[in-house]
Order: sequence, then C-alpha cells, then structure tokens
Amino acid sequence: MAVFDTPQEAFGALRPVCVQLTRAQTMENVARLQAHLAAVSTSALQELQEYVLFPLRFALKVPGPKQERLVQSVVQCISSVLAATCVKKRELLQELFSELCTCLSPPSSSSKPAARSEELKLAVIQALHTLMHSTYGDVILSLYQPSTLPLLGFAVSLLLGLAEQEKAKQIKISALKCLQVLVLQCDCQGHRHLDEDEAQQCGDLFASFLPGISITLSRVITGDIKQGHKPTVSAIRLFYLIVGLVMADTQLARIPKNKEKLPVEQSRISELMVHRGPDWSKSTAEKLSLLLHKMVEFSSVHPHWKVRLELVELVHHLLRNCSQSLVGSFSHLLKALVGLVNDENSEVQSRCNEVLQGIAEQRVVAQNRALADVLSENLHSLATALPRLMNSQDDTGKVSTLSLLLGYLKLLGPKINIVLNSISHLHRLSKALMQVLELDVTDVKIVEDRRWGCESTCGPSGSLQHAMLKGRCQKKYFRFFTEEKVFQLLQQVCRVLGYYGNLYLLVDHFMGLYSESGMYRKQAAMALNELIAGAAGLGVDVLQEREVLPNMDDLKGSIMSILDEYTDQANWYLITSIDTEEIIHEPSVQHSGLSAHPGGTCSSVLLPSAEPHVTTHIMNSNIWQICIQLEGVGCFAAVLGKEFRLLLLSALYPVLEKAGDKTLLISETALGTLVDICEACGYDSVQCLINENSDYLVNGISLNLRQLAHQPHASQVLDTMLRHSDASLLPLVEDVIQDVLSTLDQSYNNQASTFLRVLHSVMTALVRWFGSSCGEEHQQRQTAEWRSRTLSQGQQVVTRQEVEQFFLDYVRQKQIAEGNLPDTGNEEADEIPPLAKPEPNSDTEGETPLPSHAQLAKDVMERCIHLLSDGNLRVRLKVLCTLAQKCGDFLRQRFSKDVLPKLTSSLLSQAPASARAGPVYNHTLAFKLQLAVLEGLGSLCEKLDMGENDLNKVADACLIYLSAKQPTKLQEAAQSVFLHLMHVDPDSTWLLLNEVCCPHQYEPPHISLRPVKLSGMGRQRNEFTDNVLLLLERLKQQESAPPWAGAQEASPP
Amino acid sequence: MALPPPDPQFVLRGTGAAVHTLHFSCGNQEPDVPILFSGSENGFIHVWNLKTHRVDKTLDGHGGSSVYCVETMGGKNRLLSQGRDQRICLWDLAEGRTSVTNSVFTENVGFCRCALLKVAQGRWLMAMAAKAPEEVQVLELPSKTSVCTLKPEVGAKLGMPMCLKLWQHNCDSQPLLLAGYEDGSVVLWNLSMGKALSQLVCHQEPVMSLDFDSEKEKGISGSSEKVLSIWSLNEQQNLQVYKTQKLVNAGISDITIRPDKKILATAGWDHRIRIFGWKKLKPLAVLDYHTATVHCVSFSDHRNPCERLLAAGSKDHRISIWSIYTQT
Repeated sequence: MAVFDTPQEAFGALRPVCVQLTRAQTMENVARLQAHLAAVSTSALQELQEYVLFPLRFALKVPGPKQERLVQSVVQCISSVLAATCVKKRELLQELFSELCTCLSPPSSSSKPAARSEELKLAVIQALHTLMHSTYGDVILSLYQPSTLPLLGFAVSLLLGLAEQEKAKQIKISALKCLQVLVLQCDCQGHRHLDEDEAQQCGDLFASFLPGISITLSRVITGDIKQGHKPTVSAIRLFYLIVGLVMADTQLARIPKNKEKLPVEQSRISELMVHRGPDWSKSTAEKLSLLLHKMVEFSSVHPHWKVRLELVELVHHLLRNCSQSLVGSFSHLLKALVGLVNDENSEVQSRCNEVLQGIAEQRVVAQNRALADVLSENLHSLATALPRLMNSQDDTGKVSTLSLLLGYLKLLGPKINIVLNSISHLHRLSKALMQVLELDVTDVKIVEDRRWGCESTCGPSGSLQHAMLKGRCQKKYFRFFTEEKVFQLLQQVCRVLGYYGNLYLLVDHFMGLYSESGMYRKQAAMALNELIAGAAGLGVDVLQEREVLPNMDDLKGSIMSILDEYTDQANWYLITSIDTEEIIHEPSVQHSGLSAHPGGTCSSVLLPSAEPHVTTHIMNSNIWQICIQLEGVGCFAAVLGKEFRLLLLSALYPVLEKAGDKTLLISETALGTLVDICEACGYDSVQCLINENSDYLVNGISLNLRQLAHQPHASQVLDTMLRHSDASLLPLVEDVIQDVLSTLDQSYNNQASTFLRVLHSVMTALVRWFGSSCGEEHQQRQTAEWRSRTLSQGQQVVTRQEVEQFFLDYVRQKQIAEGNLPDTGNEEADEIPPLAKPEPNSDTEGETPLPSHAQLAKDVMERCIHLLSDGNLRVRLKVLCTLAQKCGDFLRQRFSKDVLPKLTSSLLSQAPASARAGPVYNHTLAFKLQLAVLEGLGSLCEKLDMGENDLNKVADACLIYLSAKQPTKLQEAAQSVFLHLMHVDPDSTWLLLNEVCCPHQYEPPHISLRPVKLSGMGRQRNEFTDNVLLLLERLKQQESAPPWAGAQEASPP
Repeated sequence: MALPPPDPQFVLRGTGAAVHTLHFSCGNQEPDVPILFSGSENGFIHVWNLKTHRVDKTLDGHGGSSVYCVETMGGKNRLLSQGRDQRICLWDLAEGRTSVTNSVFTENVGFCRCALLKVAQGRWLMAMAAKAPEEVQVLELPSKTSVCTLKPEVGAKLGMPMCLKLWQHNCDSQPLLLAGYEDGSVVLWNLSMGKALSQLVCHQEPVMSLDFDSEKEKGISGSSEKVLSIWSLNEQQNLQVYKTQKLVNAGISDITIRPDKKILATAGWDHRIRIFGWKKLKPLAVLDYHTATVHCVSFSDHRNPCERLLAAGSKDHRISIWSIYTQT
C-alpha cells in the first residue's frame, strides 16, 4: 500500500522526518520516521537507504548516555529499513554491524551485557539477524576476512554470552539463530552457496572461535532442562553446523603443511588466526570428543523428543562431514544413534532409521576402516557386558541393549567380517549369545505331555490340521527374559550375522560350540538355524544389501553338515522320558555329554525305580534340543526350497521318526517341520510328501531295522508313514513290513511291544485302505444287535472277519496236519477267503493267492498269537485287548477265570497308593500300569460281552478310581470304564452309580408304590460325587439319544 | 578287532523283479549325475539316478524277457543290453531318447553274458555265445561284421560257453578272449587265429563267472561249488592254476575285480556278497543284506574315489549300494 512510489516523492515525504530526527533524537521522531517508512515503496526506499539510515545511525553514535527505549526504537527502525532493502556496500555493512554490536557492549570494560533491558537485546539481535539477511553475495563475504576477525569475534562472544546467560528463552533462541546466520549456516533459503575456497576461508576464520563456541554451546545443551527444548535444539544444531564446517574432512585435507604468512601489517591479526594443521585437528578432536560425549549422554535421554531428534541430526551431520577428523567421537555418537532406533517417539525412530539407512547406503562404514574399528570396538565391549546386562537389566533394558547390539551389526554390514575374523571378538559375541539364549528347562509339563498311544491321534485319513501347524513354533521360555521382543531381537542379531558374515566361519564356530558342551547345545542350534535363515536372506531386516549373494552350493554344503550333526545318533536320540518301553532299547546308543545315560534297565521288571540320573530338567532340555533341531530342519527346507528335495533322502526319515515320538511337544514340532518341508518342496500335503518319498523312508526303515537300537525308531517311522498315507503306499510298504515281521521273528523277547504298535497301525491302515470294499458284504451277516453297537466302528468289523478267516484257516491246517482231512465239498465255501471271492478261479483247485493286503494281515496275525504268551504284561494286555476286540467268545471264559481277578485285585491294591501320591506319581510305572488296565478294561468288557458277575467285579474295582483324590488321568480312565459298562448293562450301572450318589428324588408314580430308596440319596458331597454325576448325565444322554449316537460318544476320550 | 561289516548305504527298490545285471556310469563330469543301469527279470532296464536314488528312466526293449547283461559303450548315452529274447540291443539315450538303434539276434538260448572290448575310437569287439551250442562268435560293433567264430576242437566236450571276457595286454596288442565253459574249464582264445591257446580245468561244475586282471595276468573264476579258482597266464600263454580259495557256502553267480585291482567282490547264492583282497585272496568282509541269491556285483567308475560304490543286485528285487572304498 505504498503511497510514495518514486524516490522523489518518497524523498519529499521522508526528508522532514529525517531532518527532525537528526536534530532531536527522541522516540517520537523515531516513531514518526517509522510511520513514514511504511508509506514508502521498497524500490524507493532502496534508493534512499543510506539517507534514511543516516539519522538513525547518528542517533546511536551521539556521545553520552542514551535512553534505552530510544536505542531500542532506533534499532528496531534500522531493522525495518534493512528488512525492506538490501545492503550493497561493504563499508555500510561493516559499520552497521559494528554499530549494532556496540549497542550491547558494556559501557566500560566490564563484560556484563546484562545491564541492558531484554527488549533492547532482542531488538539488537533481530537487527543483526536482519542485517545478515539483507546483505548479499560478495558484500557479506567482506565481513569474513582476516581483517574483520576482531569484529566477528566480538559479535560471536556477545551472542554466545546472551545465549548462555540470558534467562529469557526468546533471547537465547534469537541469539543462537543469529549466531547460526553469522557463521553462514542459516537454515533459510536464498543464501549464496559458498564455493570451496570461500568455505575453506570461513573455516579458517571460525576455527578461532571454535573453542569458545563449542564449550559455551555444550554448556547450553547440558544446561538446565527448565530452559525448554528450543534453546537446546538450536544449540545442538549450531554446534554440529559449526563443528561440521571447521572440522570438515574435505577442508582439513586441503590445509597446507605450514601456516600461510599474512602481510606484515596484519601480523597481529595473524596471531589470532588458527592453523588447522594435523596437530591442531587432533587435539581439537580430542577436546570435542569430551564435549560430544557429555552432550550425547545428556541429550539422548532428554525428555523432549525434538532434542533427541536433533541429536540424530547431529550424528548424521558429523558422520557425513567429519567421519575422519572426529573418528574418536563416533563410539559415542553411533551408540546414541543406534540406541535411538527404538525411541519411544516414532518420528525419532523413523529419522534414525533413515539416517542409519543413509549411512549404510553411502558405505560410510564400509569405506572407513577407522570407523569400522570403532564400531567393532563398541561391539566388543557390548558383547563383553552383555551377559551381565542380561542378568541385571529388566526386559526394557534388555531390549535397548540388544537393539544397540543389533544396530552395531547392521551398521557394520559387510564389515562384520572384521569382527568375525578376530577370534576374541567372535568368541565374546557367541558366548554372550549362548548365555542370553539359555532356555528355561524347569517346566515339568513339557516332559509330562504325552501322546497317549497311537489310537487317539489316528485320524481316519491321517489328516493334519495344516492351518494349525503352519507357521507356529512352540513358544520357548528363556532363563533371562520373558519378553518376546527380546527373542526377536536375538533372532535378528543371528540373522544379520548370517546375512553379512562369512557363513563357513560362522557355521564352523557355532558347530564348535554345539559339540563343545551340552550347556550350549540348544542355544548353538538355535543360533545356527537363524544364521542359515539370515544367510539366505529370510526374515532379515538390514540397512544395506550385501555385495555378494550367497552361493547356493555353499549354503547347501553348510546345511548338509549341520543336518548331519543334528541327526547324528548322539544328538538325535536323547532320553526324553523314563518310560521303560523306550528306555529298554537305548543302552546300545552312545550318548555324550549332558545326555549321557547309564543303560541296562531290565525289561522284565514291572516296576523299576525311576531312573535316578535322569532328572526332568535333563529330559526337558533334551526335548527342547530335539525340537530346536527339528525347527532347524524346517528352516533349512524353507531356505533351500525345492533344492531341499535332494536332502530328503537323509532328512525325512529322522523327522518322521520324531513325528512318531511319544512326547507331545516333539511329535507336534516334527509334524510342523513336515508341513514346512511340504511347503518348501512344493508338496500339496504331508501325505504327498510321504507318498512321494516313501522309497527313501522304506530304505531308512529297512536299514535301521538291522540294528537293535534303532528298531523302535524304525517302527515309529513306519507307524507315522502308515498313519499319514494311503493305499497307494502298499506295494512299497509291503516290502518293509516283511522286514519288520522277520525282525520281530528274531526278537520276540525284547522288542515285541514296540512292534506291536506298528502291527496295530498296519492293521488299522489296511482296514482303512481296503476295509470299506469288503465291509458291506460282511455287515449283512451281522446280527442287528451287534450292528447297533458297533456300527460306528465299521473298521473293526472287517478285521474281525479277517481274524475269523485266519482262525478257520488255522484250524483247517491243523486238522490237515493231524491227518484229519476234511470233506472238501462241504468245506469249500468256508475255506475260500471271503476277500478272494470275486476272483474267477476261486472255486478251482489249488491255492488261491490272497490279495496282498489280506496276506499281510494274515502274516501279522500269525505273529500275534505268539505274543499272547509274552512275558511282558503290557504286551499281553495289548494283544488281549486287540484280540478281544476281534474275537470275543474265544477269550471270554479264560479272561474271566484267569485274568480278570488279577487285574481287579491289582487295581484295588494300588488305589490307595495312587490316591495319596503327588504329581510325580504320573511318571511311575505303577501309574502307567493302572492307566493301561483302566483304559483297556472297559472296552475289553464290552468286546467280550462279559457276564454280570464279572462286570460287577470290574465296576467295584474301578469305582474307587472315580475318587477325586486319584490322579486326573486315572479318573478319566475310570470314567471310560463306566461309559463302556453303560453300553453293556446300562441299568445295573445306573443302579450302582446311584448307590454312591443320587442327585434326584424319585417320586413313585402312584402312592400305592413304596417310595424309592437308593443308598446314595441325600448324601453329602464327597470325593465321588463329581464323577458320578458326570457319568449319570452321560447315561441320561445316552438313553435319550439314538443308540448309535450314544455309542459314538462313549468311545474313550 | 575288525570293524563290523557295514550296512548298505542305500537300497534301491522298485525294479519289481529279480535283478540280473548292473552297470555303473559315473565317469562323466558334473553336472551329469552318476547313473546305475540295472536289468531285471521282467525285461526292464532301469536307469537309476544315484543322486536322488530314484529311477530316471525305464527302458523296455526285450519284450518282457529277462535282461541279463547291460554295458555302456563309451558313455552313458550308448547302451548295450542283452536279454533272454535272444537279442542284443544297442540303445541311444542321448538327449532323453530311449530308442533301440540297432540289434543283434544271437539265436543262443543260454544265459552267457556277452563281452565287450573297445579296440579303437567308436569301434568295439563283442564276443557272444552263438547259435551252435559250443561256439562263441565275435562281432565288430557297430558294423555287426563277424570277426571270427571260435569253435572248440571236435571231441573237446566243453559244453556251452558260460561266461566271456575279452581283453588285451595293451592297446596295440591282439585282443584275446577268455571263456568259461559248462564243463568247468576256462579257455584262452586267440581271435585272429580263431584258435584255443590254452585250456585249464578249473572247476568240476560249470563256470558261472570269471574276471581277469590283464596287468598281473591273473584271473579268477567261480562256479556252483564251494571254491573260487585263481589261475594265471605264463609267458607261453598257458593257463595254470595259481590258487584255490575255499568258500563257506557253495555257489557264486558273479565275480568282479575292482578297477584298481586291489579287491574283488563275489555275488553268492547264499545271499551274501563277499569281499576279498585280490593279491592274496584274503577275505575282508561279508556283506549281508539280501534275502535271496545275489545275482550280480558291480563297481562304479566314479572319478572321485570316495564316491565310488559297489552295487549288488539280487533275486529279492533289491539293489544294495555299498560304500566300501573308504574302509579298504
């Protein structure tokens, strides 16, 4: 809204006020001038700049004391003139500069600027600021000559004084801003960019101020927090800008050896000038390092995030400009930077990441050996302190410590190998990891959770819940931390190591640790798994890509050697339970280190004392080791993808071995590994995986069967194979089942019970695969009653048929052997196996070969008869249950006469012991025996169709196990007995249960009937009540539901 | 104490029939995988990939009749197979082909394996039992031109030839043929003269298999008896008994001296493979895995000694692979 556009008009308007001001320096006159200025256009004012400034400058220069308010308004007026115009003359600039500074200088020689009012100070600072901004190009550079050094120095110390000592925040900030402009580092755009020589010259000049500036600023930065964050932020910025300029590597590199001689007339000034030679820069760097350390310590924990953000900028700036000159400080700087990666403020975090990324991308570390050394030193000391820190810090502390570790590694990037190549570094680092990763092995549950028998998990199609197993990994519990984040960081540490590090070296080292001691084995295996994942670039978060991609062959080589070690007998077959069934076979396997176990348990002893040497901790540890190794296999598969198919030859068998393990955790982990392998190798399902690699598995089974110690494992593998596969497997499996049978033939004494399970799975699998085709035909022959009971278990019906067939066959053979040749014509129909009926030549003379599956079933059955008389009770029971299921009549009588009394009396006598026992009892053999009897008894009674008398015996013996005092498993098993009894004889069971406890009052339907009195009525709640009520409820459901539904429900849990 | 005999390194299953002959082809450079050819009773030739231990290809060229001899001719892509259909087939397997390029009708009803000898680049001599019961015919391959027919003297009563071995002292010298006959004798034939140079009765029963070490000029033969016979050739080109080695169980179906001439392996009717030192016939190991007669044994020709293998094929349909190089 300029009124006066031309200089002439403006001059006319301004002249009177200027004259008046020259005559009388009063605030009114200044104000008038100021008012008139507003009406003058910028271009006109530029023409009249010096004219207008004259009265104002005059007012400042008038000798004698002046009114502070007047000075202030004059300075403000100068400011407004300068803001609208630009200074084009060097002399004007220098004079104005010095005049403005003088306004604040103490009247005498005392160094106290505080005598002035705050408003004045602010006005002067702003005027200086405006002055610097209204001057351009070469003109401003005239201020930065050696000759003006004293003037500059004066201004700098003045402003520093203000920044440090003023209370007012505004002044502090303005002074710092002004200083920033003064050292030509203004944030705003529009300043001329200095060329190299000019910058060099300025650097030389500012070097003289560096001590003063840096010390003062560090005081400001580490000053009272109450000053607010803004002065601190400005001070930090100014600090790094000035240090970054004076200590810039590029400038220092250009400094000549000797100080330049200035002309003689400037010799005094020359003394003030600093020569930034090597000595100077070295000593300055040392001093700066101290200051930086203090500043970093202080501001990295500053409560305000902007301060921390500025700290990130500081590191960034210095690292970019002074990575050589200030190398000694980077230990602290990088520590701060890396530490801030996990700042609570997301802006700090992301900026920090950006900076780190930038550092990595520009290969600052890679190209600067000294910096890499600094980092590796930091890493070393951190690794040294790590175990102690992990012991003493809380989880948050651990997270930050580990982030720091991770940050160092990431920053080192490809230079990690410097660290790894030093034995002591690698040693420290790996030992620290080993200690931190130590697992907590005190959980008894891990050992306790068992896969009970194979029946419960034997799904009809061996289907695995893909989704459930996928991507899951059993949560591990560590000794030194609980936070998941800590583990993730440790994982990343290992992966980053694997990503950049020399894989051979790392694998070799950690393999060394793995085999060195049982103490480190689990941790080393974990580390190895992560290393490999990292080496393949799986799930690793890094700042810069590595230069050399890993060679697939190298990776494969490493993986193969690790796999060999994992699946080595000493590391794969560990004691995970004190189950005698499993231990018996172990002695010939050599265990090393921690897992050492004195063998030689006697198999014939029914109740051996629990192994004193194998504690649950050891077993827990062994279980974890196996699981970690299994996870490793899955991880390796993921790394190699389809390439892993070649390794299946050696890797699949051990995994399947573990999938059949009785420890729940192991078998689940192994199944998970199988799913991982499927995915990596491109198989649709576990079934596909097993089917397509059955040749490898069969080979493994067949070879392992040759060694006594491995027979149980081999049978486990076969077991797993059978459960997860289909009929297409038969031709291959047939071959190996023959091997199993012939092996069994050689070792009935000690291996029978292991093989029995396999035989059972074989039969179940056969029934599953071929059962449905012949099942229908057979069912027609069944009585309606039988059908109603077992319809849901159609599978067993068929096996029964096979058994029946076998026995018929057997009887006939025997008769023939005794010379009692039967009448051919009549027997023919019975003789021909029903399965072979469809064959056209079945009625012709001679042996009709059975279909292979039937032949197989027959072979299996032949073995089973021998086992009925086995010395081991468990074996006998198992066989008995199986046989009873198939051919009840045959056995009932002998069972009730010989077996039942012994079983019931054993149950009765053991009951008080188990009722008293604590949780450890679950691991004793007595417990397992009780459990086996209880679990088997119910179905046995049902299958054998026992008489009432016997049923009562059974019920009596089992009733005491319904007591709440008994271990839960026994209670459940006892419940199952009653559930079976309910099917055989619901009424008497109801009565028996009601005798114990009766929840209802039964009103007689007619008053002439006597009221019902059951001895369980109206009883107090006692140890049996809960279980009895539960059973009664089930009974009620069963009675109201259709029979088959009841049968299904009643199958053992 | 001696180490217990090792287990097989691997067992190849899936031939579906008794295995009668095996031949390795591992001499090729990477990335070619080592290969094992097997010929079985159902007439199939299986090409086993020894990296994956799986069948790469199945060749069917003998109309379901038992294949009892498989040889390669200078690489894994040219294969010779002999079957009970009285045919010798030459196969081209290059670039995944599976075609019979040429065949020879032997008209012989026995099961005498033919013998091959490379005489020049791309030129081979093949000796085979001929139509006439006692005769051996030598052909040049691939031209199939007859080189000579070796007829025993009238009244020699050698019976049918049972096994053949073509060899020469060195590349330039005359090829010679060693033939084992039904009557238990081994005869050395000069091919150019078509004349028997020497005859030695080694066994009372038919000679089932023989192998010859042309460096030491020493050979070994086995029959259905409980004895191995070792014989040598003196300067006058006469065969003479060197030693006999008693066996525990009777019956040898195949004998192979390892290419490095340090040990030899025998395939026994007792289901076992036996390893002997070649120098003194010291028994070294009994490899027990098969559940039926072992029909053939073969050593691999892998460039890398520690990857060399021994394979044995048996009537139980399985081929067992053993790694015995490191132990001996």
